[in-house]
Order: sequence, then C-alpha cells, then structure tokens
Amino acid sequence: MNRISVIARNEFVTRIRTKGFIITTLLGPIILIGFFVVIGIVSVKSLTPESSEIAVLDSGAQLVDRLDHDMISFTPVDVPEDSARAAVLAGQWDGYLVVPDDVSTGGTLRYYTTSGGGSLFSSDLRNTVVAAVRALRVEEQQVDAEVYEAIMATVAFDTVQLTDTGEDRGNTAAFMVVGFFMGFLIYMAMLIYGSVVMQGVMQEKTNRVVEIIVSSVKPFDLLLGKVLGIGAMGLLQMTFWALLIAAGTFFSGAVISLFVDPASLQLPATASTDEVLAAMDFTVPAIGADLFVWFVLYFLGGYMLYATLFAAIGSAVESQQDAQGLTIPVMMPIIMSIVFIQPVIEAPDSTLATVLSLIPFTSPIPMVVRIAVSDVPFWEIALSYGLLVLAILGAVWIGARIYRVGILMYGKKATYRDIARWIRQS
Amino acid sequence: MKTLDVQNVRKQYDEVLAVDNVSFKAEPGRILGLLGPNGAGKSSTIRMISYITIPDEGRILFGNEPVSPRTQAIMGYLPEERGLYPKMKVAEQLVYFGELKGLSRAEAKQKAAYWLDRFGARDWVNKPTNDLSKGMQQKIQFIATILHDPKLLILDEPFGGLDPINADLLQSIIMELKDGGRTILFASHRMEQVEQLCDDICLVSKGQIVLSGPLNEVKRRYGRNTVEIDFEGTPDFVDALHGVRVTQRSSRHVQLQLEEGSDPAAILQAAIAGTDELIRFERMELPMREIFVKAVTEEQGAAAAAEVGTDVNTAGGAK
Repeated sequence: MNRISVIARNEFVTRIRTKGFIITTLLGPIILIGFFVVIGIVSVKSLTPESSEIAVLDSGAQLVDRLDHDMISFTPVDVPEDSARAAVLAGQWDGYLVVPDDVSTGGTLRYYTTSGGGSLFSSDLRNTVVAAVRALRVEEQQVDAEVYEAIMATVAFDTVQLTDTGEDRGNTAAFMVVGFFMGFLIYMAMLIYGSVVMQGVMQEKTNRVVEIIVSSVKPFDLLLGKVLGIGAMGLLQMTFWALLIAAGTFFSGAVISLFVDPASLQLPATASTDEVLAAMDFTVPAIGADLFVWFVLYFLGGYMLYATLFAAIGSAVESQQDAQGLTIPVMMPIIMSIVFIQPVIEAPDSTLATVLSLIPFTSPIPMVVRIAVSDVPFWEIALSYGLLVLAILGAVWIGARIYRVGILMYGKKATYRDIARWIRQS
Repeated sequence: MKTLDVQNVRKQYDEVLAVDNVSFKAEPGRILGLLGPNGAGKSSTIRMISYITIPDEGRILFGNEPVSPRTQAIMGYLPEERGLYPKMKVAEQLVYFGELKGLSRAEAKQKAAYWLDRFGARDWVNKPTNDLSKGMQQKIQFIATILHDPKLLILDEPFGGLDPINADLLQSIIMELKDGGRTILFASHRMEQVEQLCDDICLVSKGQIVLSGPLNEVKRRYGRNTVEIDFEGTPDFVDALHGVRVTQRSSRHVQLQLEEGSDPAAILQAAIAGTDELIRFERMELPMREIFVKAVTEEQGAAAAAEVGTDVNTAGGAK
C-alpha cells in the first residue's frame, strides 16, 4: 500500500505541475465560455435582422397597409411580375412578395428573393405576413377585435416533475442540460484521462524506466498507483471546473437576461432581470445530493474501468500507431454511450436506456443522465453500480496480467491473440 | 553479508528456452562477472534474480531467503537499457526511486545529496534529465541504483557512455562497495573490464553455463601459452615461426598461441631479428576475450554438430 501511494503521489505531483495541465485547466472553461459567448452574440445578432426592402405586388391592396415591421419595409408596386423579378435580380429590392386575390380564403402568398435568407429573417417575415392576413380575415369576418385578442392570447403551459420529495417545478429542460453535461464529463474522464494513463504506461515502457520500477515494486502496484494518481489529477481538474460552473450558474441569470430582448417575451422594455427570467421560466436547477453523489461515483467507476483497460493496451505496444488498432474495441462502448445520450435524455425509461445503464461498459453515462432527468428506482442503480464494480475488479485482474507481461515485451507488435495468451500464461 | 544462490533455474518464453538449468553462487565482497553472447540468457537470469520474473523451475536465494519483494528492497539493478523519466528533475527522480525501494523521503533526499556530491553532480540537482548528456545520465542512473545501500548490486554494462575519467571514478566506487561486503553481479561484453574487476566469472551460452569459477582459476585452466609482441616494423617474421598459432596480427602487434613443445625463447629471438624495434614481449595467460570466444564457439560448435540432423526440419518449420 505504501508503494502504491508513493507512485500515485509522484504521478499526481509531476503531472499537475506541467504546463499542459495548468493551461488546459485554466483555459478549458475560458474556451467553453468563449464558445457560448460567440453563440450568444451570433444568435442575438440574427434576432434583429438587417433592414431589408421588399416590393409587394398586391393588386387588390388587401395587405399592404397591414404589413408592418421595424426592420422590413414593404413598398407597394404596381408593375408586372416580370419587371419586379428584374428589379430584384438587379438588386433594387431584396425580394418581392406576391399577394393573390384570394389571400383571405386560403390563397398562397409567394416571396421571391435572390438570397436564401436566414431562418430568423424568414420567420420574422412569415410572422408579419401571417399577422396581416389574420387581421384581414378578422375584419372580413367581422370578428370582434376583443374576441380575437382573447383567442390569440398566450397559452401558459408548465411541466411539473413529480418526485418522492414533492414537486419540482418546470426544471425538466434545465435537468436535461445538467444530465447532458454530467454525461459529457464522465465521457471525458473515461476517454481522455484513460488515454493519459495509456500514454504514461507507453512512455515508461519506451523510456525503459519500467524495468527499474518493477525491480522495486510489483507491476500491479505500479499499475494501480498510476491509475489512482492520474485519477486524482482528473478529479482535481474536474473539481476546479465544477467550482467555476457553480459560480457561473450563480450569475447565469443576470448574464442570460443581458442577451434577451424583453419585447420578445411580451414584456415592457423596462422589465427587471427577475421579471425577464420569470417570463422565460428560467430557474437555476438545484442539483440534488443523490444526483451529485451518483455522478461522482460513476465518474470514478467509469474512469477506473477504462483507465485499467487503456493501461493494459499501453503496456502491450511501443508506439501510438500500434496502440490505435488495439484501442478501437475499448473505445466502442464509450462512444456508443455518448452517441445514445440524446435518446436516453428524451426517453429515460425506455428499454434502450435501461439496458445501456445496466451494462457495466456503457452504464456510467446513461445512468447518470437517467438519474438527472427522471426518477430511477434505487434497485436499478444499485444493480448497475454493483455490475460496474464487478467489471472493474475483472478489468483490474485481467489488466494486471496483461500489464505484467506487456511492459517487458519489446520489438514485437502485440495482437489480441498475443494478449489472450499472456492472460492465460501469467 | 549475504550470498546469492541460483539453483537449477529454468525459464522458457513461448518456444524459446531462455535459461536452462543454471546454477551459480555470488559471494559477498566479491564481483561475479556474468558473461555471454547476446541472447545467451543473461538478461533473463538477471530478471529472475531481481524478482521481475519468476523461474519455471529451480529457485533463487539471497541470504538463504527466496527472492521476493523483501529482497527487492535490498537489491539495486542497473539495466543495460537506461531508464529515467526525461522531464523529472534529477533530485526528484532520485528521491522517487529511493522511496520505491522503501526509503523515507528525508533519507532519500539526504542520500541523493551525498551521492550527487561524490559524483560531482551537485549542480544538476534541479535539471530535468533531458538536459543532461549521456554520461551524466549514466551517473544519475548509477546513483539511483545504489541510493538505498543495497546488499546485492546487479550492474549491466555500467561503464557504457562514460569517458575514461568518469569510468575510473565509477570503478573506484564499485570497488569501495565491494570492499564494504556487497555482493556484486557484473554483466559486460567488455572483457578488459571483466579482467580488471571480477573475482569470479560465469559464462553462459544458449541458456546454459559453459564456464564458471574464480577468474584466476579459469585462466589457469587455459594455460600460460599466449605470447603478445608489440614492435615497430612489419609482422612478417611470424610467418617463419613453427609451433605457434597466430590469433592477432596487425602492423604493430601480434598475439600467438604456443603449441606443445614450442620454445618462447626462439620466438623472442625471431622477433628481435625480424622487427625494427621490439617494444614488448610478454608470455601470459589467455586473455579473457579469447577465453570467451573459445568457450562459446566450442560450445556452440558442439551443440550445432549435435543438432545437424534436425536442423533442416526446424529451419523449415520456423518459416
């Protein structure tokens, strides 16, 4: 045990000092935040389309007066369609709108333009035109304006999640995000930290340091110390990021309200931040203790399982290229569980989600996602975790046998057949 | 003061019998030269002694105790292929290796400082090994091997990459450790070093011991029948000699093997007459280098002769 802790400590200390670790730890969130800021800016920009000028061919003058938009100007023209088309192609107009005579009884309006137009622009245009057509119909059918208003008023709809402890109002969407995020972190732990372990094993082997180490400690101790030390490094990085995220969520309301136009929520422009957030139905999700505990457990479990397997592969090869072929079968279940994250979020109680979250090699991601977005029976979680622990013990047992032989094998590219023989022999 | 006792050890890898019924003893306060051509089974034997691998048959005792993690802690192994962490600093690296051998952090630090001083390497303490020359790394590797004051030292080509000054320094430290009662196993292909350092030798070939015993006894077995002559002029005078075999011949040096009944005095006369100036004439024991070549080729020749009948088949089967 003492030797294991010496190895783990050395792995941890020498790794967290490297420039690579410090840069990724500090820059990771900055890059992530930068990414979201860019998305925010782009989408806010596209919410306010650039002003465009549209010619309207409305022979009956049915709509022209009713079309109204801040940024889009509608100009009635009385020319044949051919000349309107020529004018648009010549760049005089951004496009032209043809209003049929039977527009109020279902005739199709057509908008001709040279550019495809952004989806936000076309939805703005469509909304403006639809509102105008509806207003026309209301007038033609002599519907009372008040009645119309009443019918068209916003319908409020809320989803309430029932849990053992009571009700959780309206956070389903937020928990989907939380679940996705946690799933992604576990994915990182398994794939990225797993490959860090593999790299470390390969480096020790190619540097030939390993021969000196195993003349001092058992290969098993070296393997375990390495996996634990790098795991501690990963946990430190994650904890740092988690604290940042916690701080971020705390201020997220204020940040989000900066990007949202109160008018789009039918609020006065003077609406306060709280009012805007309430109208968006946005609340910071409170992550339950059980979700958090399971997340940490699956994070560690998934890491242990894959780190051991990756270490075994690292011991069998001498170069990155040789490793690639061998890593594919190990990476498949990880990739599968991240690919299926969307269906699992959408239907957390489906057979697919249940099966994936029970199989040890795929369980960490789907199970945490399910716990985040739904109420998973305790026995299912217990069974899933029990199987995971068994798989870890199996992986450590097999991995250690491969490792013991692999680290001393040079000059020959190992195949899965060789590895199987090593497991039998040692 | 512990003896290393290798008893009837055998190790097979897949189809290769790497070590076949090998037995020898290495005594404390003496240096045992473990010799043999490449692939003879030296590394396999060393790995079993250092408890990296386990013999299929036979056993290895150190101080009457089977090798184990406990004996590992009092053993220092310098492998032929050097291994250091390239990015770790010298002092950290030494402390880490010391801790792995069971030293406390404080002890390891103190001993690392002592040995770095002895090797005149104090300035490198905070340099990553990457920045050091081959010879410097070699010294660091040696310090890592002896940091925990091992009772058994296994040194595989310890002088590789060292300049003559550092080689002398290392040699004096090895002798000092030997005089301190350590059991030392020395593996090398440099026969002049073997002759200088070793008290006993053990020569393996194809997994088997072909020659072993105290160095001077082994040399006596091969007789005092070698003559070496250094001179100015041409070596042509040897062509006229009778009753000798020429084993080395160059423009300034010849080595001859005396056959039964040949007269060294006559050879000396011929050398004086046949060269411009005679510099050295020495009648001596067969050098270790020749003993090595002779023992290995004779052994392999005998083995090859015994296998002639089956050779064709195995060659075909290996394809």
